[in-house]
Amino acid sequence: MKNKGIVIFLIVLAVVIIAVMVGDWYSKRPDRMEANKFEYNIEEFRKVPEELILFKEVKNFRVGFENPAGITSSGDTIYLVGDQKLKAIDIDGQLLLEIDFQDKPTTVEVEGENIYLAFGKSVKVLNRAGEIQDEWNIEGENTYVTAISGKEDFVFVADAGNRKILRYTKNGNLLDSFEGKADADDLHGFIIPSPYFDIDVNEYGDLWAVNPGIHSLEQYTDNGNLREHWQASGAQTENFSGCCNPAHFCFLEDGSFVTSEKGLVRIKIYKSSGEFLGVVAPPTKFDDKIEGQAPDVAVDNKGNIYALDFDRKVLRVFEKN
Amino acid sequence: MEKKNKAQSRRKFIRNGARLSLLLSLGAVSAAALRKVTTDGYVWQIDPFKCTQCGRCATECVMTPSAVKCIHAFDLCGYCDLCGGYLKPDANARSTAAENQLCPTAAIERKFIEEPYFEYHINEDLCIGCAKCVKGCTSFGNGSLHLQIMHHLCVNCNECSIARVCPSDAISRVQASEAYKVKGSWTNPT
Repeated sequence: MKNKGIVIFLIVLAVVIIAVMVGDWYSKRPDRMEANKFEYNIEEFRKVPEELILFKEVKNFRVGFENPAGITSSGDTIYLVGDQKLKAIDIDGQLLLEIDFQDKPTTVEVEGENIYLAFGKSVKVLNRAGEIQDEWNIEGENTYVTAISGKEDFVFVADAGNRKILRYTKNGNLLDSFEGKADADDLHGFIIPSPYFDIDVNEYGDLWAVNPGIHSLEQYTDNGNLREHWQASGAQTENFSGCCNPAHFCFLEDGSFVTSEKGLVRIKIYKSSGEFLGVVAPPTKFDDKIEGQAPDVAVDNKGNIYALDFDRKVLRVFEKN
Repeated sequence: MEKKNKAQSRRKFIRNGARLSLLLSLGAVSAAALRKVTTDGYVWQIDPFKCTQCGRCATECVMTPSAVKCIHAFDLCGYCDLCGGYLKPDANARSTAAENQLCPTAAIERKFIEEPYFEYHINEDLCIGCAKCVKGCTSFGNGSLHLQIMHHLCVNCNECSIARVCPSDAISRVQASEAYKVKGSWTNPT
């Protein structure tokens, strides 16, 4: 009888131990744990009201790059760089041109009859057939070209490493450079915390540059005098968040800005005055990555917006609703 | 005569077997000792590229405060005035005021360098490894802030209680000789 009591006690003890172990195992599963008071939820910034979304994705192409790097457009031709190649495609995705290089191009721009490609510390000039016409080497230990843009007489080159914009003639003669300081005594001009420093010339021939450290877009005269600027800083949809945003931008035909942001990846449109107009692609359209890359953007002559998605390695086309 | 030879060969066989066993045992012991001398142990570490900054490192570690701390890869930092790891997204000013700081324990020290650059230092004694700053920096900035298990604090449990609940399996055993998985070149200036 005494032994029977011990056996029952041991059985009850074993059942209790197993129950505690199973309960502990279940309660510690990540999907069953209670909410963590330290979790920093940024989901609210990913949500965009439907009425703010002005564009819809209509198609996308695989661009065939392992590491896409940049995009620009000219008329109804889209120029893309990535890996060690330049590709030109039409708006249906048909390949028109493919050129191989020994180095990796970082950005591409088409102005007039020329195609300009940056290779970190140099710029190659090609004709529309893809034949190399010229090469400009840019001096400086920290030189890193992130953007090129041109107008009738000049070509502007954005050097993120030295935080300045260089002005060249079409023949490759360096005319001058500027650091975005309104006054020589100013403490800072362009603030470039990471290699995202985009420039573009709009339909009216105005040179605009991103000052990503302060979330502003600034317009400069050809010789580097600040004419106007607008700024939108904050995590909300209508602002630019984090550091180095907008990472890329381009213009619609009416001078409106198409901006692309990294981190919280989103593409938006602002009026030429800087007033927020709406969203092309909200964060939910992109991979839910922690360190999302900003797609490079371009606009065709129909007003469609092309986003080169570096994470998915596809070219995505957005058309107005 | 034949019987005697058989007995001798059996004895010889047993003797040789014993010698061989001794040799094998000695070899095994030597190999084990050599392995212990030439290889080191294993410790737990976080892979910052897998970490999803869920915040469990602050609550699940057996140590109080957690042995997980934020570290800063200064070479990746933009030294921004508007730091997504330091400031709350709805901060009313870019200042050191407590209501603007994302860190619940004010473990990040913001130091002015030159207009408009600021340097951010982690006060390890105050850091609880909650990863709020890491998520802010990674989501909005360059991702220079990241978590690591500090081995002068970690007791190297047989089963790491954080690894057990880590939703992204970011914690694994690594060799003690390469105990840290840091982003960039980790140089923590003092």
